[in-house]
Order: sequence, then structure tokens, then C-alpha cells
Amino acid sequence: MNSDLFFSSLQQGLILTLITYGVMIPFRLLNFSDLTAEGAYPFGGAISTSLLLANFNPFVSVLTSSLITGFIGIGTGLVYLKLRVNSLLAGIILSTMVYSVNLRIIGKSNITLFDSVSLFSTDDILNNISILFIVIFIIVVSIKLFLHTQFGLRLRAVGFNQDFAYRQGISITKYTILGLFIASAISGVAGSIIVQLQKYMDIGIGVGIVIHALAALMIGEAIIGNNTINRQILAPFIGATIYQQIQGIALSSGLPPSDLKFFTSMLVLIVIAMKEYGLTYRS
Amino acid sequence: MIKLENISKSFEGSFRPIINNVSLELQKGEFCIIIGSNGSGKSTFLRLIAGEHKVDEGSIFVQGTDVTRKNRNDYITSVVQDVNKGTIPEMTLLENMVLSYKGDKISGLSFYKNFRSNILHEIQKLGIGLEAYLDTKLMHLSGGQRQIIATVMAIISEPKILLLDEHTSALDPKIQRILMNYTISTIKENNITSFMVTHRLDDAIKYGDRLVMIHNGEIVFDIKGDKKSSITIDELLSLFHKYENLSLIGGKDE
Repeated sequence: MNSDLFFSSLQQGLILTLITYGVMIPFRLLNFSDLTAEGAYPFGGAISTSLLLANFNPFVSVLTSSLITGFIGIGTGLVYLKLRVNSLLAGIILSTMVYSVNLRIIGKSNITLFDSVSLFSTDDILNNISILFIVIFIIVVSIKLFLHTQFGLRLRAVGFNQDFAYRQGISITKYTILGLFIASAISGVAGSIIVQLQKYMDIGIGVGIVIHALAALMIGEAIIGNNTINRQILAPFIGATIYQQIQGIALSSGLPPSDLKFFTSMLVLIVIAMKEYGLTYRS
Repeated sequence: MIKLENISKSFEGSFRPIINNVSLELQKGEFCIIIGSNGSGKSTFLRLIAGEHKVDEGSIFVQGTDVTRKNRNDYITSVVQDVNKGTIPEMTLLENMVLSYKGDKISGLSFYKNFRSNILHEIQKLGIGLEAYLDTKLMHLSGGQRQIIATVMAIISEPKILLLDEHTSALDPKIQRILMNYTISTIKENNITSFMVTHRLDDAIKYGDRLVMIHNGEIVFDIKGDKKSSITIDELLSLFHKYENLSLIGGKDE
């Protein structure tokens, strides 16, 4: 395999890894089917774009856009908890609202950032991959440490059994919102990084991203399982990097890009079928 | 400690109130046994105290504060027959136990593994070898073991008021004994104000400082002190027969 292809797929895979964490936390830890990443990812990108255009430090812009993006998760949580809207619908409503907000923030549907400073370079892909690895490492270690605290334990308890949590006096509202905030903040990091990496922001970057992330998550879980916390935490990384390699190989061996969405969804169905018939990892 | 004032509860479609104008007051550390035939309203009575059902009328005071409309899960804990309400099968024994330590006493950012030795100590007290399963998910344990764990969890959460709803009834006689002894000794040791619903009249006589019988949603019998300690099983049985017969007669004009 051609090494350029490998590295560019790896780079894509590492970005997708971040989004997959943003999807794994609600889906797997909170048992909350959540589409907020569809809005959180471009929102992080849009905020980062405006910060970079205002000459903010690229590192500061990642942190700031991540924190602000976290609030979309809180919004989804509140719509779900207080208005009793279905979780998927709550995420779609917030993502739809954010689309307009993004247009307001960047002023048009796409914008280039060629003159802005960036954490990433245009020609040194290994440097970019190293930075991405560091970011992912920090996030993975933080998630792992968090899940081993009382807060993390209670968050998982809310995901497993709300009835139990309620009887133990654990606030379902507080922990659902905390989890969704963290998830959206991580998707925001991904959005902020992609615009710095591509030096380009497009309003449509979030379209279909949750499906990609879910595909990655399921592939990761099919390979290493998710029956322990460690496996669950590693699954997004393994799944997303492998998924992007598969996609890269498919495209380079002649799959027309217009067929990509069909290919992606087919892959999701294949993994689900494998799971159904016991062909995936079992403890 | 807890005072119930004229509480009533009806459900949609019931002909008469399930709990009808009941008043009861327990002092701190008092242990109240509740008996009554099936459908008398015992479990509903406990759920009203826990706040799982809202009372239609009347008030509930805990340490002088009106808590009738407040969430009281922080200081009233119950153990019921359904172990899925009291434990999380997908989590390990250690994780489950740590969850029952209450929030304000420990920092949310402390690592839960730090409590390992405390929990080990607590489980060893039972003396049934459960400590070997500290890192086992509860789904791999038996229903009886999980019910014991649910009870231990309720007790280590240091509730002000503990509600036990036939929590030993699904277990085999030997484990029933062990769990009951553990329950009684920890309640006494920690001076926890408790209610226990039981169908076993021998338990009703043996344990508790107070004995209350509920029939058709009303308290028909309430003894404590010397009277409680001197009552015999025959007297209780005749009491049961008296109300059973009454309800049969009463059934005609209902």
C-alpha cells in the first residue's frame, strides 16, 4: 500500500476518532442516542474559524471553541430532560439551530484560512499526525481517569439504570448534562482541528458525520469488544482508524466518491449483521 | 424522627383508598415491623414514605421538616424484592457498593478504587464469602447474593430512615437468616430508624421495638415497649383471623 494514502487516511481517521468519542459517550455510557455531533462538529469549526480570523492563538482557539461547543450538548440535554423530547429529535433540533448560528458566525457558507496561523502544517503530515496523537492521548487518558472517579461512576450508573440512580439520590439531570457537555466539547475539538488542518471551513462538514462515527464505533467494538471500560475507551480509536483505512483503500482502488455514502452505510449494516450472527469479538 | 399525619392515597379505579387517613410517629432509632395480609396496603404505605408515590392528603415530616412534596431519596432508602431496583447488574460489586456512599461525604473527583478496603471490610462482616466477587459483575451472581448486596448498599448509604419491604422473602431459609441477622444488627448498631414489612409472624415477634398491623389501608393494631416484647404468636394469629373474617363479612356490603 502506498504510504501517502496510508498517512492521509490515518490523519482522517484520527479526526474521526475524536468525533467517535463525542458519539461514544452518549450512546454507550449514557445510553442516550444522540445526534448532536452533527451540529457540534461544524459549530466547533465555525467558532475556531472566527477566532483564527481574529488572530487568536490556534491552541487557545481549540480550547475556546471546544468549551463553547459543549453548550450544545447541554442544550440537547435540557430539551430531552425538561421538554421530554425524544433524544434523537432533541439532537436534530439543536443541530438544525446551530446550522444557522454557524452561518452567522462565519458570514458565508465556506471560507478559506490560508493566511491564518495553525497548529498544523500543509506539507508535514507526520507532524500533523503526531499532534493529533497527542490530542487523542490527552482525551483518552482524561476520559479514563474521569470514569474511575465517583462522578464517572455515577454517570455510568445513570446510563445503565435510571431507576436505580434515582433511588440512590443520583441526579439524572446533572449527569446526563455533564456527559453530553463532555461529548459535544470533544466533537468541538474535532471541528476546530479540521479547519486548522484543511485551512478551510465549510458549513456542510457535519452532514452525515454521526453515521461515520457510529460506523467507526461499531467496527471498533466488533474488533475489541466493549465489555470493560478499557475496551470501550479504546474502541473509538481502533474503529475510526481502521474505518478510514478501509475507505481510503476503497477510494484509491476506484470507488467513485459519489458512491461513498452507499459504501459507508453498507459497511455499517455488515458490521451489525456480523454482530447479530456472532462473528464479532466476544468476551 | 418521622411523623405521618393523616395520610391517604387512592389509585385510579380503586373503590376505596389504599391508605386511609393513617397517622404514625417514630422516634429516632425506633424499629417498626409492619404486618398485614396481602393487599392490605403495606407496600403502598412504604412507597408513600419513600416518596415513590405522592400522598393525596396528609403530611409527612422528617425531623420536624415538612417533606411531603420533596424528593427524599438522599435520606430515605428502601430495599425491595426487585433487585434490579437496588443494584446495577452490569457493574461490579465494588462499583455498586461505592455508588451507595452518599455524595456530600466524599468528593466526586476521588477515585472510587480508594474505597476498596472500606467496602471489603463491610462485606467481610457478612461472613458469606462475597468478598471474593469484589470485581465480578453482579449479573454473574445469584439473585440471593444480589439481594444481600442491595441490602448492604442500602445500609452503608447511612439513611436517616430505612424501609425494608419483605427484602428476604425470595431467599432460601439459610441465607434469609444470615441477611436478617445482618440487617437487624446493623440497624441496631447504627441506630437507624426503620420500617420492615414482613409476612413471617415469628420475625414480627422476634424483631423490632414496635409492631403495626395494617388492614384495608388503616392501622388497626399498634403496640410497642413491653407489650411488643410480650406478645405471642398465637395472639398475632388470632388478630389476623379476626381481621380476615371481618373483611369477609365486610366484603358483602362493599
